Amino acid sequence: MSNAIVVCTWGEERGGLPGGAEEVLSLAGSLARSVGSDLVWLTLGAQAAGVAETAGRYGVAALHQIDDAKLADIPADVAVEALAQYCEQQSPRIVLFNQMAATRTIAPRLAARLDSAVVMGVTEVAADGDTFDITASAYGGDTRVVYRVAGAGTPVAAVWATAITAECPEAGASLAVESVAVDLSSVSERVDIVEPAKAEGPKLEDAEIIVSGGRGLGAVENYKLIRDLAEALDGMAGASRPLVDEGWVDSNHQVGLTGKITKPNLYVAVGISGASQHMAGCGAANAIAAINKDSEAAIFQYARFGIVGDALELLPELIRAARS
Amino acid sequence: MRIVICVKEVLDPDAVNNYAIAGRLEIGDDGMSLTQTAIPRLMNGFDEQALEAALRIKDTGVDCSLTVVSIGEDPSKILKHCAALGADSVVAIKTDAGALDGHGVATLLLAQIEAGGGADLILCGRQASDDDQGVVPALIAERLGMPLVTFARAVEASGSSLKVTRVVPDGDEVVEVVCPAVVTVSNELGEPRYPTAAAKIKARKVKPQVTSPADLGVADGDLAPRIQMIRQFVPTVQGNCEFIDGGSPAEQADKLIARLREESLLS
Ligand SMILES: Cc1cc2nc3c(=O)[nH]c(=O)nc-3n(C[C@H](O)[C@H](O)[C@H](O)COP(=O)(O)OP(=O)(O)OC[C@H]3O[C@@H](n4cnc5c(N)ncnc54)[C@H](O)[C@@H]3O)c2cc1C
Ligand SMILES: Nc1ncnc2c1ncn2[C@@H]1O[C@H](COP(=O)(O)O)[C@@H](O)[C@H]1O
Repeated sequence: MSNAIVVCTWGEERGGLPGGAEEVLSLAGSLARSVGSDLVWLTLGAQAAGVAETAGRYGVAALHQIDDAKLADIPADVAVEALAQYCEQQSPRIVLFNQMAATRTIAPRLAARLDSAVVMGVTEVAADGDTFDITASAYGGDTRVVYRVAGAGTPVAAVWATAITAECPEAGASLAVESVAVDLSSVSERVDIVEPAKAEGPKLEDAEIIVSGGRGLGAVENYKLIRDLAEALDGMAGASRPLVDEGWVDSNHQVGLTGKITKPNLYVAVGISGASQHMAGCGAANAIAAINKDSEAAIFQYARFGIVGDALELLPELIRAARS
Repeated sequence: MRIVICVKEVLDPDAVNNYAIAGRLEIGDDGMSLTQTAIPRLMNGFDEQALEAALRIKDTGVDCSLTVVSIGEDPSKILKHCAALGADSVVAIKTDAGALDGHGVATLLLAQIEAGGGADLILCGRQASDDDQGVVPALIAERLGMPLVTFARAVEASGSSLKVTRVVPDGDEVVEVVCPAVVTVSNELGEPRYPTAAAKIKARKVKPQVTSPADLGVADGDLAPRIQMIRQFVPTVQGNCEFIDGGSPAEQADKLIARLREESLLS
């Protein structure tokens, strides 16, 4: 399978697939077709239920798995070692990840091992012969940069999956899983988790409806209106970064480039200006409804529905209307 | 404990945002650089927090030296700011080897760290707010064979080990790691301090140590980029907002909720 376009994923999200898998497979599939390479899907650790069937739908040529007791929870030192050995054995043409928190540790370290190019925040990959042109987000999304990667080696790219729409192809035959052997006996994790994060209740990443408040709320006590509207709509409450920086809400509410990357059906943004760094975490919503007192606010460029008005007057009315 | 903090000078991201929001962000004739020359250059926000993390370790009474290193055209202003805040030494690496990629930056930073006698803790920002890549700390860690801890909101040093509280998708995670290690700092660490007026005046006289790839024994060939920017562009947003206008706030609220239900965005 040398020279293959390899998509690497792990874990499982809603829908029984690793996060971003379909989006990365869509991007990787069209890349593979354009250069006449095979598309290979590599999963680390226990494989999610929907992988074999999804591989068939996306025209994957081979489904690889590296599983090892040490890979449970994907510790970075172990994952990097496994991937470095895999790349040595298989010589992929490029390795593509979904950009999640863990990828930010694993992808660049893999590139250091392989002494190869690495690009994060990728929205597009084009290839011509030995050359890749990789487009990535910069300035929080204000610009895109096209990077050229030339020469031999295995470039590593972390795809910003929410910036991509998956193709959703028709059903195909499920693939058989091929186990790939690597030797992880000599690697041990150096970062010791002494207090694991306690995932309390549902996650913003999985929410179908999110109501987020921004600096336009004016004061910490007004954030309660955001919680109340979220509850009335059967959704979850989020926030822009200034509210987290001010200590109004806990950091697990932060939506954006350096916060939660969400993809709800409906995102209600109240008193949020629409800076690119915030939109990086909600721009993939099916629809955005925005409330802002400034009719020129950038958020209205992204919104399907908008009200120009005072959040503090509108929120109680929205809560009432939502409950009726 | 020898702490090295890596800081990058970037264009003020808020100013870039303001141009973008006003639809006036433009790329020059070279197809690569932003044309707005009025945008101020600042220390990357997460790097300010990386320095703050180091200062908080010092505050707890740990015997440590703080060295700040920056590669850029002219980082002397931000380095003076770091000196005013309490950095023991500040180093600027100047290069005319052309544009560096993350590997090139990491090569120079680790050459400087080695030349300076090594480090027990290397603190970086979680990402630079211009390229948003967040790869340099990982490249340094891997090449020095050090463990990497990302997204710190708190860093405590005790003896030769570190206790780091990380911001992860499920909340906060506390990890321990033995030094030497690389740690990246996130905004959740909180507001960085300001230097006192007296410290600022004193720091005006500080001359950053200036060094070059040649001084560090790094050949131009070692800095050859693996990725090269060939183009930068401003993505366009296709706006089509349906404004709910007219009437009282109550009427507008009723209308919005009704429209969202019609579009099956609400049940
Ligand atoms: C490297 C980097 C990473 C970042 N990461 C993130 C991130 O992950 N998430 C994030 O959110 N931000 C992030 N930011 C910050 C981002 O650039 C913006 O500064 C931030 O999103 C602005 O938050 P805001 O919209 O709440 O506040 P503001 O920009 O201050 O906007 C407030 C809005 O409220 C409106 N308003 C005021 N009063 C009222 C009222 N009474 N009723 C209705 N509307 C009102 C105003 O018209 C304005 O549009 C990052 C920045 C950098 C540099
Ligand atoms: N030119 C530079 N000089 C010093 N440190 C840097 C430089 N570039 C990146 N860094 C460090 O690496 C972090 C991540 O940068 P990046 O990989 O460019 O997003 C920054 O927050 C800095 O701590």
